[in-house]
Amino acid sequence: MIHVSKMTRRVAVSSVSLLVLMSTVSCDKSITATEVLPAQIFTSVDANAGAWKMIVLSGPTQIAVNAPAPVTDGGYKNELAQIKTAQASLTDAQKAAITYWSGGGVLRWNEILRELVAKQDLPPAPNPDGSYPVPNAANPFADPQYPFANPPYSARAYSYVSIAQFEALKSAWFYKYQYKRASPYKNDSGIQPLLPTSDLPSYPSEDAVEAAVNQVLLKLLFPTSADYIDAKAAEQQQAAMLSGRASASDIAAGVALGQAVAAVFSARAANDGMRAAGGTAAQWQALADGAKARGEIPWLSQDIPARPPMLPFFGQVKAWMMTPADVVKERPGPPPSTSSTQMQQETAEVKSTVDNLTRDQLATVYKWADGVSTATPPGHWDFIAVPYVVSSGQSEVRAARTFALLNMALHDAAVACWEAKYFYFNPRPSQLDPSIKTMTGLPNFPSYVSGHSVFSAAAADVLDYLFPSAAIYFDGQVQEAAMSRLYGGIHYRSDIMVGMAHGKRVGEYTVAFAKTDGAN
Amino acid sequence: MSVVLAGLCAVGKAQTMEDGVMLSQGTLCAGALYTHSQWDSYWEGSLQRVNGNVGTVTTQAVSAMANYGVRDWLNVLGSVPYVWTNASQGVLHGQSGFQDVSLAVKATPLRMKTGQFGTLRGIALIATSLPMTDYTPDLLPLSIGLHSKTLTGRGMVNFLSRQGMYVNASAAYTFRGNVTLDRPYYYTNGQLYLSNEVAMPNVFDYSVGVGYYHHDLKAIGTFAAQQTRGGGDIRRQDMPFVSNRMNYQAAGFEVQYPIPHLRQLQYWVAYRNVFDGRNVGQSSTITTGMMITLHRERQTTP
Repeated sequence: MIHVSKMTRRVAVSSVSLLVLMSTVSCDKSITATEVLPAQIFTSVDANAGAWKMIVLSGPTQIAVNAPAPVTDGGYKNELAQIKTAQASLTDAQKAAITYWSGGGVLRWNEILRELVAKQDLPPAPNPDGSYPVPNAANPFADPQYPFANPPYSARAYSYVSIAQFEALKSAWFYKYQYKRASPYKNDSGIQPLLPTSDLPSYPSEDAVEAAVNQVLLKLLFPTSADYIDAKAAEQQQAAMLSGRASASDIAAGVALGQAVAAVFSARAANDGMRAAGGTAAQWQALADGAKARGEIPWLSQDIPARPPMLPFFGQVKAWMMTPADVVKERPGPPPSTSSTQMQQETAEVKSTVDNLTRDQLATVYKWADGVSTATPPGHWDFIAVPYVVSSGQSEVRAARTFALLNMALHDAAVACWEAKYFYFNPRPSQLDPSIKTMTGLPNFPSYVSGHSVFSAAAADVLDYLFPSAAIYFDGQVQEAAMSRLYGGIHYRSDIMVGMAHGKRVGEYTVAFAKTDGAN
Repeated sequence: MSVVLAGLCAVGKAQTMEDGVMLSQGTLCAGALYTHSQWDSYWEGSLQRVNGNVGTVTTQAVSAMANYGVRDWLNVLGSVPYVWTNASQGVLHGQSGFQDVSLAVKATPLRMKTGQFGTLRGIALIATSLPMTDYTPDLLPLSIGLHSKTLTGRGMVNFLSRQGMYVNASAAYTFRGNVTLDRPYYYTNGQLYLSNEVAMPNVFDYSVGVGYYHHDLKAIGTFAAQQTRGGGDIRRQDMPFVSNRMNYQAAGFEVQYPIPHLRQLQYWVAYRNVFDGRNVGQSSTITTGMMITLHRERQTTP
């Protein structure tokens, strides 16, 4: 009873050929997740880095590192034999790990840090009664997870990890050139160098220093990712050993140094004012009352239900290069009064801009949104720095300096910006004109000055100094980042223009240090 | 009526891509449809919740569609939707624009008369959808779509009895092309991706329609389900993401009613409610419109 006509056969044939076409369309869609980093090529080993100025430590010998056994020692020879044995039977996973870390430990750890920030960059969900739970460091896996890695929290995290790593590496460099123990592959021709090579002495191991500093501080800052962090730290140490770059005793000395330096920074973090940055309900009310007393409309949370302001006392957290008096000194003058004609005009500009966006402007909004589940604006600027670190062939200690300077400026920018935001407590455009709808998430803190503008200008100020040939590009990115907030409908032009100038002044504190730290 | 859940929004697509109706050679069926879809509760992963920052999310669409009988056994179909979205609460800006054009070829390779009861047919459909504009899928749930090129293979089995009993079952697999975002990195499914390109998981869907279809009058109940073959969940208090694992089950009905004395004009209405899902809104969708048939629609009597 089934009629299979000629036409039907034609259809069947064409269907089959279309299905074949479809299966070819669906070929490999996979996206490379990690940064594609070439194996490092060092233009210099920065042999004098042990003499570079310290930021937190008193000097390179604050943490003592004992002299290593001589290379003729039997124990050391055993370490070399272990490497040879291991190299004879490398697994695919070990080879992949060596390739991964050949891009550079500082760059890899920065990438990992950005991932941890993005993972934790989620605000608490409201309780059924409209209140909000607070993430609890003592119970990090509960809902909401600890931490909420918002921009100030992240700026601080990037700076702690980057500066501690830089300090520890300067100290390591000091001891490397004091003890001058060569890498295992130089002491035994039976060992293959599988990671990029240089004339850098191997004791204490720079890879182990990085692994230990990052392991301690990242677990403190991102406790829910402890297993992942431990695995990465172990992998980096193993890659250093299997590649013939460092022996077991080089690594052990590096781990001890890294842990000791990290402990100094953990202690600082416990007393830098972060714990009080959230404030209390009475303090939040006092901020609103203060704005009212000045005759201004106070900022209101436009989250539904209304959410407590984000870290209103982050402006009192310790900065790196600025004293509390510096922070106040650099605070911009007041924004246009909420009752002024200028504020009316600026509010109208926001509305007409967001309602008449070009596609290019919208793309700029999304490029710079850096909202929930992202590395935040400080992480975005670290991301921007990566190709310049790679292409200039920076040694590990110099790459660490780049990220330390950059993130020091970004943290100070967060402190200064938050201080100004809560000093003025100025409402967002969509509060003054509820008909303004935004193209990106509305940040839950006061408007003046724009965080993106302060962060970006401070970051670019440092990058302009470190990579002057790319200054035009960095400055262009600042303009884009800053203006994206006007396009997105969440900032007035004043927030942006004043914010950029503010950020540049903050960045200058770090640049002034960089000019005299002995690394030029 | 197939509803594409674009993120957490629902958009109307040509009815005829999922049903067992074939136009005879030379017949054109064209029309305009209006779709209204809204939800105030959605699934964040598998957790059902409401969100004060969006309130009720409404997606509306006007679609022009056409279906033409090239041969009795071969139809071509197309539809063009204009979509606009809105959130009743919060500050997020609604989006609007032309979404994705859909084109399909539908053929009846198998036709089997089952004695005096009716006709059983196997129908194959190949469809593609292509974004018509460079709208962004990066502001879900208010983006107008997912901006992915798709290619769908659909198989249908359709039974129509002499008395008008209509049973249609359909299953499809949709390949979805990668999507490009305006930003250089994103975090989804437990990983930071340092790329602006997002791999879109493919989609499997199936549907069943049972009811009455006779003399151009159609009234059927529908069930449809979609399973996305990969993708991450929306995390707690996170925004939805274009490649999320969007699954749902929905039930509804569909009525096609010939206008008296103007039999080439038909009124068409469909309703669908999502009753279970993952990373989608619990949407109620109504689609309604008029279709005109130039030449009479082929009587699908045996």
